Amino acid sequence: MTPEIDRRTFLKLTGATAVIAACGGAGTTTASPSFSPGASGGVPATPKPTGRISIYSALNDSTNNELFGAFQKATGIGFDMLPLAAAGELQTRITAEKNSPKADIFVGGSSEFHDPLGKQGLLEAYKSPNAKDLKAEFKEANGLWTGWYTGIFGFISNNDRLAKELGGKKPATWDDLLDPAWKGKLILPDPIKTGGGYIFMATQIFRFNRDEAKAMDFMKKLHANIAQYIPTSPGALSLIDQGQFVGCPNWSHDILTEKSKGNPVELNVPSDTGFEVGAVSIVKGAKNFPAAQAFVDWVLTKEAGALNVKLSNRGSTISDVAPAPGAPSLTQVKLVNYDRQWATDNKDRILKLWQQTVGL
Amino acid sequence: MRSLRREPALLLALLAVIALVLAFIVYPQVQVVVAPGPGGYVSFLEGGTWTGPLVHSLEVMALSTTTAVLLGFVYAYAMVYSEMRWKPFFRLIGILPLLSPPFVVAAAYVLLFGPRGIITYGVFGQTPIIFGLLGIWGVQTIAFFPFAYQLIADALSRSDARMEQAARNLGAGPWRVFRTVTLPLSRPGLGAAILTTAIYIVEDFGNPQLVGGQFTVLPTQAYNLISGFGEFTSAAAVSTLLLLIALALYVAKIRLDGGRSFVTISGRASSMPRPPVPAALSWACFAGCLLLAGLILMIYGTLLVSAITVLFPINLTPTARHFTFVATGSNADALRNTLVFSGVAALVSAILALFAGWIVQRGDWPGKGILDFLFILPAAIPGIFFGIGYLTAFNQPWLDWVDRGWLIILSMVFWNIPVGYQASVAGLRQIDRSIDEAATSLGASRLRGFWDVIRPMLAGSLRVGLVTTFVRAVTTLSVVIFLFTPATTVATIRIYQLVNDLNWGGATAFTVADITMAILALVVFAALARGRLALGMARG
Repeated sequence: MTPEIDRRTFLKLTGATAVIAACGGAGTTTASPSFSPGASGGVPATPKPTGRISIYSALNDSTNNELFGAFQKATGIGFDMLPLAAAGELQTRITAEKNSPKADIFVGGSSEFHDPLGKQGLLEAYKSPNAKDLKAEFKEANGLWTGWYTGIFGFISNNDRLAKELGGKKPATWDDLLDPAWKGKLILPDPIKTGGGYIFMATQIFRFNRDEAKAMDFMKKLHANIAQYIPTSPGALSLIDQGQFVGCPNWSHDILTEKSKGNPVELNVPSDTGFEVGAVSIVKGAKNFPAAQAFVDWVLTKEAGALNVKLSNRGSTISDVAPAPGAPSLTQVKLVNYDRQWATDNKDRILKLWQQTVGL
Repeated sequence: MRSLRREPALLLALLAVIALVLAFIVYPQVQVVVAPGPGGYVSFLEGGTWTGPLVHSLEVMALSTTTAVLLGFVYAYAMVYSEMRWKPFFRLIGILPLLSPPFVVAAAYVLLFGPRGIITYGVFGQTPIIFGLLGIWGVQTIAFFPFAYQLIADALSRSDARMEQAARNLGAGPWRVFRTVTLPLSRPGLGAAILTTAIYIVEDFGNPQLVGGQFTVLPTQAYNLISGFGEFTSAAAVSTLLLLIALALYVAKIRLDGGRSFVTISGRASSMPRPPVPAALSWACFAGCLLLAGLILMIYGTLLVSAITVLFPINLTPTARHFTFVATGSNADALRNTLVFSGVAALVSAILALFAGWIVQRGDWPGKGILDFLFILPAAIPGIFFGIGYLTAFNQPWLDWVDRGWLIILSMVFWNIPVGYQASVAGLRQIDRSIDEAATSLGASRLRGFWDVIRPMLAGSLRVGLVTTFVRAVTTLSVVIFLFTPATTVATIRIYQLVNDLNWGGATAFTVADITMAILALVVFAALARGRLALGMARG
């Protein structure tokens, strides 16, 4: 945007390149052939990254243009965007494209969608200098992906029906949902089909200190109150907007967005809830690696974090970016001790256990 | 075999068809089938998560196919035989359900018939449980009867009026003529309709996803493995199960219709009108079709109202903002891409399907059954796996110079070829081989005989291929989702984005624009082709 910012980005990149050069033997950080051809002359004179990058974005449609436009303004780097608000599809696409990668950047979607790509060797490691203050749970140790936003699981209720049928009583804890008054009025994103539904269930396990029997007992009692498990998280929100059902555990930021559109719904966050870490990663074989690094640096700036908060109601992993009005922040709400690695490693077993428990 | 040896051109054409099938149906799909690897299949089969969805899929297939084919038959009969009024209108209604982009139309069902639906709760005060088997059954019946209708109407309209007249002259009543003459002679179309509809229903993903709730079928299981958890290999194993079901259906159909002859068109021309049906029957047809049209229009009307109001159904203030939104940015490009890709794909697919039908049905070389099956196979491949197969197979460094639009067009051509192919084969089974022979004995090559003599007689089948490929290409999401690039975005991708954003106003406005564009294209095409060529096929 201003020469000053340009210089700052430049300095950061110089630093980043130095870091990479320093740990060049680590294996994962081998530079791709297209890595800054201009830099081959002299080591210290890393040119300011230019050109265009190809971004695969799983962010909401309403976020994409403005966010990436701000990136272009700040860095002068152009972008081609492939928007698909479905991180699983993008992950699969990047896997299927591995013979001739078309993406430089994969941005958005819970880290669970980025992590397997890293394990398959389809991501390029990059430790952004802007990520050094992030908590360890917000980034992959080798820099394969970096968390830049957060989403907290909350509860959406339809105002009208909540007032009439439940006396306006919102659940303060997840256990409140076991009240028989909720019978047939609750829906849940299907734990088998949605990342959100599974995070909800894993949250219950962590809430009971990994006592799976207790967690399954909870899920079984909850099952008695649930009218339907819905195949997508946004689809469930839509049904509450319409008042087809009364309430549903779902993503706080999306609930706030629904409310801001004028839908008669309300958000509250029961205690002991779970959250996701939204990630950004650089795809292996990226055609414009320096510019991709610049993108990762940029989304980890305070400015980008604040813009994303404004556009999507999500939180930022940077601690001094304020949450959106009405949005919970990780420091305000009571969270479970969510062990992402455990949740991923045990997923198949837990889902099977759940299916047996509720008989689905 | 002999004709192939005598005519090198015919042999070349056959080899070309085989090469196309291998390159664009077999090779990409093999990529998907081998993806899980032996270990992947073993652990998937042992996991046992597939048994429930498999049973559900078979249930849904049996129920929805029965009702969709019945409805399609009644509709086709009404269009071809009865003298009901408003046939052009009903012809349009008969293709409208094919024009429903995934998600949006099924969402309209929930709005209208959900537990707090406008009709069910608002009008009748009922809170039905539409999620599950019942909902899928209802929605699929409406969504898939047009396939059955198109194929059956094509067969019915080709049946020879003289046989029916003769039966009537011999004293048979209309019902008896229908039962003993019309119905048996339409069996090729009926068989093709049942097979195609059943395969499409078992592969259907959009409707079960939206109204199925926790009632999981194989395509929704496969899709959600990818979408929810990025688990491609287990999903690919589910896709293989679907291919096996298609194979079973195909074998069943072959065994059912055996080697009988259904020839109704022999050498001599027939200009005899069909025997009249009783006036009461025409009126009954009219009433039935009107009822169905009412239901379909109500669903599309919901989309229209949502597209022109601020926040349907909460805020009904009229607004043009959703359409303004559709007209901005890259949205117009997406609509244009849809039109171009679908138009080209429809033309190529319809002509290729017609020719492939002829070369297979009239062929006398070994192994033609395999080719026959391979032309029906794409119907059984969930679009998402068709797309992934293409991406895996053709996203190679040495192919990077190819414009991605061509890949999208090719995927649309081959994914949608089964209906046109089925129509072609069913049509040829009603045309006597003596007509081919007449052409060749007059000195024409067999290829020339096909193009000059047989092709004009199969105009109806060509129409079926054109119309269904076009509308399916316009509305397909799942195939394109893995193939589109920033420059080759299509309307359904944009609609999907807006649905994921829960921007229903934008999504419905986009859908209305997409459908209107498709209908206009069909109308223009019909006008260009002199007559009512494209808008359905039943000759009234």
